[in-house]
Amino acid sequence: AQPQNNTAEPSQAKVQIRLATRHEDIELPEDPGVLFVSTNLKRYALSSLVNNLLHTEKPIPFEFLINGQFLRTSIDEFLTLNGISAETVLNVEYTRALIPPLQVASFEHDDWVSSIDVLSQTSLAGLWSGGSLGSGQERILSASYDGLLRIWNMSGEVIATSTAPYNAGRIISLKSTKFMSDKKIVASGLDGVVRVYKYDEDAATITPTVELYNHNSGVENVAVHNQSSRILSASTDTTISFFSSSAKESPAAPSNFLPTSNAASNKRVKLSKADKTVPARGALSTLVGHTQPVSSVIFAPNDHTVAYSASHDHTLRTWDLPTSRSVDVRTTGHALLSLTALSKLNLVATGTAARHITLIDPRASATSVSIMTLRGHTGPVVSLDIDPSSDYGLVSGAHDGTCRIWDVRSVRPGAGAQVGEGQVGESVYVLEREGQKDKGKSRVGGEGVKVFSVRWDKAVGILSAGEDKRVQINRGSNSNAS
Amino acid sequence: NIDPESLLPKLPSPDELRPFPTTCAAIFRGHEGRVRSVSIDPRGIFLASGGDDGHVRIWELLTGRQLWKVKLSDEDAVDAVRWRPGKDAAILAAASGESVYLIVPFTLLSPDVEQASREILDAGWGYAASKPSSANSSEPIKEPPAKWSRPGARLEGKGVLVQATVRSTVKVINWHRRGEYFATVSPRGQSSAVAIHTLTKHLTQLPFRRLKGLAQSAQFHPSKPIFFVATKNSIRSYDLARQELVKILQPGAKWISSFDVHPGGDNLIVGTYDKRLLWHDLDLSTKPYKTLRYHKEAIRAVRFHQGGLPLFADASDDGSLQIFHGKVVGDLMENATIVPLKVLRGHQVKSRLGVMDVDWHPREPWCVSAGADGTCRLWN
Ligand SMILES: [Mg+2]
Repeated sequence: AQPQNNTAEPSQAKVQIRLATRHEDIELPEDPGVLFVSTNLKRYALSSLVNNLLHTEKPIPFEFLINGQFLRTSIDEFLTLNGISAETVLNVEYTRALIPPLQVASFEHDDWVSSIDVLSQTSLAGLWSGGSLGSGQERILSASYDGLLRIWNMSGEVIATSTAPYNAGRIISLKSTKFMSDKKIVASGLDGVVRVYKYDEDAATITPTVELYNHNSGVENVAVHNQSSRILSASTDTTISFFSSSAKESPAAPSNFLPTSNAASNKRVKLSKADKTVPARGALSTLVGHTQPVSSVIFAPNDHTVAYSASHDHTLRTWDLPTSRSVDVRTTGHALLSLTALSKLNLVATGTAARHITLIDPRASATSVSIMTLRGHTGPVVSLDIDPSSDYGLVSGAHDGTCRIWDVRSVRPGAGAQVGEGQVGESVYVLEREGQKDKGKSRVGGEGVKVFSVRWDKAVGILSAGEDKRVQINRGSNSNAS
Repeated sequence: NIDPESLLPKLPSPDELRPFPTTCAAIFRGHEGRVRSVSIDPRGIFLASGGDDGHVRIWELLTGRQLWKVKLSDEDAVDAVRWRPGKDAAILAAASGESVYLIVPFTLLSPDVEQASREILDAGWGYAASKPSSANSSEPIKEPPAKWSRPGARLEGKGVLVQATVRSTVKVINWHRRGEYFATVSPRGQSSAVAIHTLTKHLTQLPFRRLKGLAQSAQFHPSKPIFFVATKNSIRSYDLARQELVKILQPGAKWISSFDVHPGGDNLIVGTYDKRLLWHDLDLSTKPYKTLRYHKEAIRAVRFHQGGLPLFADASDDGSLQIFHGKVVGDLMENATIVPLKVLRGHQVKSRLGVMDVDWHPREPWCVSAGADGTCRLWN
């Protein structure tokens, strides 16, 4: 395969490039070596070139990274802008183009939506359900400040709604929810109780099966591992609980945390008696170490005996679950509000109250705290998820009313990073709230548009939810328009 | 020719003094009319506010979500809200009219925290009952400095469990660090203007009956048995153990609105209606060590960060807050470094009133403000 040599204009400058990719499935069949290409080529022409070399039947849209920057201009302009000599051999990395996500649907609620999850053939819960889920059977789970869980189909219809819990008149606002499988859901909220629910699609019911007590303040975040029936919960009481989703496997609930444990609330219970009592249980263990509210907790992607947690105390902790011990602490400069793991890169990403995302290598061998800092948000970064199609991508949701998509290979040129921040990355795309009339303008204090939760699913797209009482779905279009 | 400016030591630039609040991170909307007072709970997760609508509201600090409210009065504004120090219980004190209400917002609390909080407030009923009756005494029964009572079924059902009523409208509440005492100031109360209340005994004392001038504010020393009282023109410090006057500070102000004591205990900031912010070093002099004139209108509130950051803030009727770096050094020979860092704008001025109160997060470089525009704001 001979690259297109522009011989029509003899005066046209040329540059030498060497193509490479980090994705096995799009590697070139044979190494073309150094190629001479015209400096006036842009992304689209380079994308055609790579498709030719790959002999693709249907063209794949590609993006190009040179020195950690996505090519957005002609090569010529890029060289001039970055002061690179045209004599240099350019190392050009190509990757599947991340196509600008379009808003495809939104699901309206009566109140703020605090958390969302998705069940699809490609989601973790879908895989845990045996992969029997067909296309078109995707389900969206939302948790709201109104205290209810809802399950939606992709047409935006509510299939099932939970009933409000009986907790002796306490606040019922929910903060976090996860599908454990296609039949099991976990949720937590400001009353400090973690509840496991059975979801019956045919009966259209969401019924609590066990209530888990171990926190004396709100539970901000839950993580689940279905195969081992394990749940982790992060609380503003500064602890993390390790629970079983099975009542049989769980110890008795600590009596002082039960809603009936004091005279005043006992009286209130009698006034609002539940028709059916749900079994109450305690934790398998309590993870103690953080000194301030814990905002988020996750199981390590490849080892469910290890957990990571992020806290307002500025630290990221690694936990060994069989011994309940904190085995590593990384101290950052800011209150940490969200967490996700980039497993192939051995990194965790944590969102801060100081409006950025910090990438941390949690392995004991890592010496620096921050590998990279992702900047661009103008409000606290409260939710993170990974790109299901790329080891380098992630999405963030923030109180500034935006979700941002990041590729950690993309580095801001010449950015004066503060000491200890590592490299500085900037976002590839910004998703705004669909209902927002003044798009493009940032709202003071993120008023009315704060994003509380974001998920990225291969089949469904990017789901986000927040103060606008909506779940919004964005999906890439399938055209190769440049 | 030497420029005299060049001989002065260079102040560090604000960039070198991060972190400090720069941005509005959340707006708390719900009050009708002015918000008079704000307070962040000791865990740093709830914001309490009180205002002209007679309501006390509690909000989720990071999101601005209103979680709880109660109406204390139809006629009177809520002039002050202050969380009791300590994380084992959650008790909020709120002043409306002549009363201080002690609140356990149980719908936001776990059963064990609710129980611990109720026990602290209930202890005093027993104490009052066990006190010897004065019937066998020949002296006439004096009117007690405050009447401690149950506020009635409606309020008790919301968790407003105790009402302490003094003789004149309460404008200021400040807790002692251990949460056993709190002080109140009723500027029009004359001989009963400054009261010290003992929580678990439901007991009120009036230690300063012969105060010269109109009382404005009062506060406990952060570590010693010393108590500060501000009148219009001066601030007096008293030794509570020896019951004697220690010092009289003369800020040189026409009308003091507020003051705060540095967590180290040896420095004090004072805000005045005549637009000035004064820093007093108690070791140096009874006159201010520094006078700062940055605001176009009255300063209504001043506050030091209490969680280890060298920051303080003021709130002004010009609608802005100003954030300062204020580093106190242990060395007696060296004076505090004061650097203006940031002006925070956003509150609207309504009827010539701007920002009414300011509080800091217990640890983070975040502050909250109460606005005459009906909003509270979180700045980070
Ligand atoms: Mg000194």
